[in-house]
Amino acid sequence: MISKNLTAASTKPIILGILKQGNSYGYLIIKKVKELSGGSMEWSDGMLYPVLHRLEKDKLIQSKWTMSDNARPRKYYRITEAGKKALAEEKKQWLQINAVLNEIWDIKTSRIL
Amino acid sequence: MFDLDQSIKEWLKLFRRHPAFGHGSVQEMEVHLRDHIDDLISAGKGEKEAFELAVSEFGEIRPMAEEEFENLRRKSRFISISHSSLFYNYLKSATRNIKKHKLFSFINLLGLTMGLTIVLLIGLFVSDELSFDQFHAKKDRIYRVVENQYYEGQEVFPVAVTPTGLGPALVETYPEVLNQTRVSREVYTFELGEKKIRERGGVMVDATFFEILSYPLLRGDLEKFDKHLNSLILCEAMAEKYFPDEDPIGKTISLSGEEYIIYGILKDIPRNSHLQFKYATNFKKYVSENSDRANNFSTNWLYTYVEVVEDHQLDSLNSKVEHTIKDNNEGSVTDIYFQPVPEIYLGTVDFVVETNTKGEMLYVKVFSMVAIFILLISCINFMNLSTARSTNRAKEVGLRKTIGANRTQLIFQFLSESILLSLIAMVFAVIIATLMLPSFNEITHKEMEINSLIGSDLGLKLFLGLLISALITGLIAGSYPAMYLSSIQPTQILSSQVVIVKKRFGLRRTLVVLQFMISVSLIIGTIVVYQQLDYIRNMDIGFNKENIIYLDVTRKKARLFAAEMGGKPGVVSVGLSNRHPAYILSSSSGFQWPGKDLEKKFLMHYMSMDENYFPTMEMRMVEGRNFFHTDTLVVIINERALAMMDLENPIGKKLYGAYDDSVAATIVGVVKDFNFKSVHTPVEPLLVFKGGPESLGMVFIKYENEARESIKGTIDGVYKDVFPDGDLNFYFLDDDFDELYEAEEATGKLSGYFAAFAILISCLGLFGLVSYAAEQRVREIGIRKVYGASVRNLFILQAYDFIRLVVLSLLFSIPIGWYAMSDWLENYAYRVDLSIWVFMGSALIAILISILTVSYQTIRSALRNPADAIRSI
Repeated sequence: MISKNLTAASTKPIILGILKQGNSYGYLIIKKVKELSGGSMEWSDGMLYPVLHRLEKDKLIQSKWTMSDNARPRKYYRITEAGKKALAEEKKQWLQINAVLNEIWDIKTSRIL
Repeated sequence: MFDLDQSIKEWLKLFRRHPAFGHGSVQEMEVHLRDHIDDLISAGKGEKEAFELAVSEFGEIRPMAEEEFENLRRKSRFISISHSSLFYNYLKSATRNIKKHKLFSFINLLGLTMGLTIVLLIGLFVSDELSFDQFHAKKDRIYRVVENQYYEGQEVFPVAVTPTGLGPALVETYPEVLNQTRVSREVYTFELGEKKIRERGGVMVDATFFEILSYPLLRGDLEKFDKHLNSLILCEAMAEKYFPDEDPIGKTISLSGEEYIIYGILKDIPRNSHLQFKYATNFKKYVSENSDRANNFSTNWLYTYVEVVEDHQLDSLNSKVEHTIKDNNEGSVTDIYFQPVPEIYLGTVDFVVETNTKGEMLYVKVFSMVAIFILLISCINFMNLSTARSTNRAKEVGLRKTIGANRTQLIFQFLSESILLSLIAMVFAVIIATLMLPSFNEITHKEMEINSLIGSDLGLKLFLGLLISALITGLIAGSYPAMYLSSIQPTQILSSQVVIVKKRFGLRRTLVVLQFMISVSLIIGTIVVYQQLDYIRNMDIGFNKENIIYLDVTRKKARLFAAEMGGKPGVVSVGLSNRHPAYILSSSSGFQWPGKDLEKKFLMHYMSMDENYFPTMEMRMVEGRNFFHTDTLVVIINERALAMMDLENPIGKKLYGAYDDSVAATIVGVVKDFNFKSVHTPVEPLLVFKGGPESLGMVFIKYENEARESIKGTIDGVYKDVFPDGDLNFYFLDDDFDELYEAEEATGKLSGYFAAFAILISCLGLFGLVSYAAEQRVREIGIRKVYGASVRNLFILQAYDFIRLVVLSLLFSIPIGWYAMSDWLENYAYRVDLSIWVFMGSALIAILISILTVSYQTIRSALRNPADAIRSI
C-alpha cells in the first residue's frame, strides 16, 4: 500500500496525465487510477474533487457540464496548455527523483557485490 | 424497504450543510455516486449494498469539505470575482433591470449623456483657447514688449504697440535680451498680370522674426530676405493664389506699385496663433528710407517681440527694463514690461491696439465652471434616480444573499452596474458631441475637431477626467444601494410582503435643491447676458451706424469721389475722414491750451474730417458749430475733452499743437460724446481737426434704406469713373459693430444653450423622482381618492413636496446670480442695471417648468382609477 503523503503528492501528475490522454469526468478518472494502481493507491473518491477544483482554479484544467440524451449530465474536465506545461514539469521532477533513487539503489547493490 | 433515491438525497444533504459546496459541486457528487452505484449494480450487487459501498469508498465528507473550503477562500479575491461566471450574471441582471424600468433607465442615461456631451464640448473649447501660441518652440522665453502710459485724469493707459527704436535698444542695453523683432501691420495692393487685389494681413518684420517665433519657412532663404530691401515672404495660401502652378521663389510681384522679390514660402499660420498674417516684408526697408526713423522713441505703432536668455527671472527683468523708453525719450510717461507670448491671447489687460485675434480668459473660466456645474447636475440625477430605485431591488438583494452571495460580491455587482451605465453614457456623449461639433464651431467661430482632444495633452487629461468622473458617478450612484442594501438582513426583506426600506430622502432633497440652485443661476446669467447684449446694440453710441457704407480711396481724388457720390439717387450724404469711427487709435499728449497745467500730461485722441462727416454720421453738436467748408485752423472737441481741459467757455479758445506747434487752432464747437472704441472702455477725450484738401481718404456714404440694394451698383459706377485703375472694396459700418461684439454674441448664445440644458437635465431628474414617488404612493393615492380627495387635492399633495424644493433653491441661486452677474458687468463701461425682474423672471421660469414637469406624473396618478391602484400588489 502506498503511503498517504506519497499519494497526495502524486495526485496532480496522475490527474493531469490521465486528462492529457483525453477529456474525462470525476468518476471515470477515479476508476482509471484504481485500475492502473491495481488498488495499491488508497484514494477516497471524494478527495479527488477538491483537487480537481483546485487545478481548475489554477487554470491547469477546464470544466464543462455536458448533456447527452441517454446519460446523466456530466462535468467533463479538459487539460489546458498551462496544464500540459505543468505536467511536463512534474514529469521532469518525478523522473529526477526516480533517477536519484535508481542510482542510490544501484550503487548499494554494486558495493555489496 | 430501501429507497435509493431517498438515501442519495439524504447523503447529499450532508454536503449542503457545508458552505464550501456550491450547487454545481453537489450535483457533481451526485452524478459520481450514481455512476458508481450503477457500476456496482451491474457487477451484481444489490441496491442497498451498492449504495453503502459507494458511500464508503467516497470517504469522509468533512476533510473533503475543508479542502474545498481552502479553494473557496482563495477564490473570493477581486480578480476571481470578475473572472467568474458571476460577472455574466451581473451583466444579465443589469440589462434586465434596464429593460424592466425603461423610463428610469432612459432618464438616467439621457441626463448623464447630455451632461457629458456638454462637458466634452466645453472641454474642446477650453483646450482650444488654452492652446494658443503653445506651438512656439521658445515659448518660455519670448515676450511681447508692452507699455503702461500714465496721464492726468485717467487710470493707467495700457498700449500694445511700441516705438521703432525700442527693440534694438533693449538688445543693446541688456545682455539678457538676446534678440528682437519689430512687427507692423501692413496693407498692400498686390498686382500680378490680370490680378490686382488689396491684401490685408501683411506684416513688416525684422528677419529675426522667423527665429524668435516658430513660423516655419517651408522653402527659401532668410539671409536673402534680410539682405534685400524689397523682399517678400508669402504664406502657402498666398503663394498658391498668385502662383498656382509655379515655384514663386525668386519671382517678382508688385506691391502697391513697387516691385518685390519673393524669397521664401511660409507654412500657413496656425489658427491658434495670436498673430495672423498672410505675407511679410522686410522692416529694414522702412528704416532705410529715413535715418531718423531708427531712433524714434515717441511714436507707438508696432509690436516688439524679444527673446531672452533661458535662465531668467521675469520680475527682475521687468524692473530692469521698465524705464527704457524714458531713458531714451525725456519727458515720456511710458513704462514698459515683457508680456509672455503664450499669455497674449487670453491676457486680461485691455491693451490699446491689441491684435485682432483675442480671447477672453473670463469666458474660459466661466465655461469651465458651467461644465463642472452641468456635470454635477447630471451626476446628481444619476445618483438620485439610482438610489431611489434601489429600494425596488431589495428583494433581489435578499434573494442573492440567501443563495449565498456575500457582501463584497453584492457591492461589486451594484457598482459594475452603475459604472457600466455611465460608461455607456460616455460613449453616447462622444458620438453626440462629434455630431454637434460643426454647429458648436459655428457659434464659437472655431474649427475644432474631436480628435484634437485625443491628440493634445490637455485633451488627454480631459478624457481621463471624464472617464474618472463617469467612474466616480457610477461609484457614488452605485455605492448607496451597494453599501446600504447589502447590509440588510435577508430575512427582514423577504419575510414582509411590503418591502420596508429605510427612507433616505434627505440626501436626495439636498441634491435637488443644489441642482436647481445651479440651473436658476445659469438662467439668471443668460438673461443678464442677453440684456447687456441688447443694451450694447441699442445704446446711444453718439452716432447712427445704420445704412452707412465706407471705403478707402486715394486721398487725391477723395473729394471728387465724394462730390460725385453726393448727387446720386439714394445717397443721403457723403462724409470724409481719416479714421474708422470705432477705431480712433491715434493719441498724443502734445496739445497745449491756455490755463493748462504744464506739469501734467493729458492724453488726447484725435482725428480729421471734412464738414460733411458729422451730418453723415448723425453726430450732434452740443455747443458751437460744425466745420464750414472754408474753415482752416479750427478744432472741435468732444464733451469728455471739454471736461478734461476744464474750460469755462470753450468756443473761441485756442489750442496749440494741432496743426503746427506755433499756430493756434480755434475751438469752434463741442460734439456730443460718441463711442470711438468698444463699449468696454468709456469715451475718451477727442479732438477733431478739419482735414486739409487731399488729406482724407476714408469715404462714408449714408444711403436711404430703400436704396440698400441699388447703392452697391451706384458706388461701383462712380468709383469706376473716378478711379479707372482702382479696385473697389467697401464695407458696411454696422457689420463692423456686430463683429466688435461677436464674443458677447457667442457667449449669449452659448450660455442660453447651457442654461437650457441645465434646466432640462434638472427637470429630467425631477421628473424621475416624481415618477418614482408616484409609483410608491399609488395605493395611498387610490385610497385617498376613494375617500373623496379631488384630483386637485391630490395634485397639490404630490407636487407640493417637490415645488417646495425648487422654491428653496431660489433662496440660494438669486444671491449667487446677483453676485456673479454684477461681477461680469464690471467689464463694461456701459451696462444695464440688474433689475429685480430678471430674478423674478428666472424664478418664475424655474417654478413653471418644474410645475410642468411634476404635473404630468402627479395628474396621471391622481386620475387613475383607484380600484386598479388598490388591487394591484
